[in-house]
Amino acid sequence: MNITNHIFIAIFVFLAQFFLVDFLSIKMIRPDFLVIYIFYFSLLYGRTLGIIAAFSLGLLSDLSGVGSFFGLAPLALTINAYLVGFLKGKYERLLPYVFHLLWLIILLLHFFIITYVNHQLIFVTSFFDFIIRWLMTFGYTMMFFLVIQFFFPVKEASIA
Amino acid sequence: MRNLYLFFLKYIDHFIFIIFVFFSFSLLFQNDNSNIHIIRGKFSDKFSLISSPLAWIRSMTRLEKETENLRLKNIQLTLKMQSMLNENDKYKSLLELLQFKEDSNLELLAAKVVNSGSSANLSSITLDIGSNDGIRVGQAVLVPEGVIGKTIIVGKKSSVVQIMNDINYRLSVRVLPSGTAGILNYLKDDIFEVRELQKNSNISIGDKVVTSGFSQIYPINLPVGEVVEVINERGSFQKVAKIRILSNLGGLLHVFIVINIL
Repeated sequence: MNITNHIFIAIFVFLAQFFLVDFLSIKMIRPDFLVIYIFYFSLLYGRTLGIIAAFSLGLLSDLSGVGSFFGLAPLALTINAYLVGFLKGKYERLLPYVFHLLWLIILLLHFFIITYVNHQLIFVTSFFDFIIRWLMTFGYTMMFFLVIQFFFPVKEASIA
Repeated sequence: MRNLYLFFLKYIDHFIFIIFVFFSFSLLFQNDNSNIHIIRGKFSDKFSLISSPLAWIRSMTRLEKETENLRLKNIQLTLKMQSMLNENDKYKSLLELLQFKEDSNLELLAAKVVNSGSSANLSSITLDIGSNDGIRVGQAVLVPEGVIGKTIIVGKKSSVVQIMNDINYRLSVRVLPSGTAGILNYLKDDIFEVRELQKNSNISIGDKVVTSGFSQIYPINLPVGEVVEVINERGSFQKVAKIRILSNLGGLLHVFIVINIL
């Protein structure tokens, strides 16, 4: 897949995030399509390109007004891309459940950063509510992720 | 120098990561910076152009939903208002009944109509009181507008009343002010016929018709209706008067049974 295709896919994902999140919002919990894209991108092309793509898309996302804290999306996506980059080509070297557990932890960390920055007050006042919100945000995006995973399995992306 | 360059190339991903994370943090900590606001404002203007058609669609979708909600609310409120109006009518009707009971010189027992008779050859209603409440067969049944029938079957907890528009119903009445007595029977709709009126009696349209008191069932002078037509056939020895009864037999909800005359 050449760079033009990736740019088109990135634009498509960004526009989907820009236009669709409001429609898909449930009690202020929104799916994050960008993290899914960055996840696959980093898994396919490794850390360096993944980080660059993550930062660029995150910055664009924050500039478009989708994110409320300017700089949060680039930060979270960059960390996500960096960590996912470690998993590139590791599926056959790691035990499958360790591999799957790792990418799940990385995604959980991504949503923890997002939820923590956005809901610091809830984190301080009601930790249980914070956990619920964090897991709900994670779970909602995971629904879309699992659908995509059905067509493009993570393990295949890792060994590609 | 070359080694440094090679070291940088080897760990370029880590360096990029550190630089971008640092840059992201610096952006995050400068959220209140006026320059950041200006940059975001400019980009926001550009992106609002893209998002405006979608915002329009979204507002139209919401408008449609809101209209639907308002329509639903409107129907609910109309039904509620109708129910309140019905309750008001019911309240007025019950107040009227109470007033009638207080003003009357008869010992009356109030009853609720629980069923309108389904018998093909008998116009009747079923009341929610029976012999346990002191009801007997052959007691007059009234509403504030006048007589409506008599009890014909009495159970322990319910009674059946033959109402005036039953084809076999007869009532001895007197036309006022002339005082001429006759027998009333049902004709059609809310029109009744009074037969056996004296030929030479002076009866006019609008005369009041009351119970005669000849019967053991109905006390004297209970209102029945008023004359709407007088038929005086040349070959007949009697006059016939058509009367319209005052009570609405089709909409009975509460009635009184005459237990005794005070």
